Amino acid sequence: MKAEYINPFYKATIDVFRIMLNLDVQRGQLRVVEELGPVSEANVVIGVTGDLRGSLLYSFPKSMALEMVAIMAGMPMTKLDAFVCSALGEVANIISGNAMTHLSGTDLACQISPPQVFVGTEGTLSMATEQAIVVPLITNIGTLELSVSLTSANGR
Amino acid sequence: MWKEHYRIGSELIDSQHQELFGRVASFIRAVQGEESWEERLDEVQSTLEFMKDYVVIHFRDEEALQKEIGYPWLEKHAAIHNAFREEIREFAQRVEREGFDEEKVQEFAAKVMTWLIMHVGKEDQRIGEYIREQGGQQ
Ligand SMILES: [Fe+2]
Ligand SMILES: [Fe+2]
Repeated sequence: MKAEYINPFYKATIDVFRIMLNLDVQRGQLRVVEELGPVSEANVVIGVTGDLRGSLLYSFPKSMALEMVAIMAGMPMTKLDAFVCSALGEVANIISGNAMTHLSGTDLACQISPPQVFVGTEGTLSMATEQAIVVPLITNIGTLELSVSLTSANGR
Repeated sequence: MWKEHYRIGSELIDSQHQELFGRVASFIRAVQGEESWEERLDEVQSTLEFMKDYVVIHFRDEEALQKEIGYPWLEKHAAIHNAFREEIREFAQRVEREGFDEEKVQEFAAKVMTWLIMHVGKEDQRIGEYIREQGGQQ
């Protein structure tokens, strides 16, 4: 897992949060974890295949998740229902897609799977056996923790 | 949901975008309302019906504008429109077949919302930039 894979995600998050939410994003201290697992209540998992393989986990605190969707919808949100979860999945999907475009600028061609959303902080994601780098993405409505676990498919 | 900074400088397109955001907002209100699903279903159905036709009109007019001003990325833009129009059509067919399931409609409303914000906020803004760059030449 190379640290340079992180930058495209940071850039994509800045871009998407500015356009969709009118929010600034600061990057917190990176940390390495042995297993991919949820940090906060609202979680989106996206698989990556192609030149890089692995998983992405977007973990949002509940209050942040509700506020994000409230900003987009222009009306308050009170629970992590199908509407809120689907919207979060789409935001994570758009960020990941844009990050893949940035990565293709470095000659890495990857595809992403549809977002899977789950609520709760229990457990780990069994498919990930590799280490993950966690990037805290700090905004004034809360911190999104993005875990990136990617390895090169051909040993590059 | 509509923001003043979404304006691209074409009166027709800007008013269509306002209409789209307004409709999506009422769609979300209906989908997320407190009343029983049966009570909200009328509004959900009629908004979906309206949107299905209105995106066709809007995409057609926006693509015509791009052609008129010689917008260089119109093919890529049209492909994005086509993909979204197809998604709406598929969803409309699906609910016709399977009925209006509340959760499925909620998920769909969220997709439409995020798509519209990202598309108007990013892709359509490029048309506005192009119009401004070409300013005076039309
Ligand atoms: Fe548009
Ligand atoms: Fe458009």
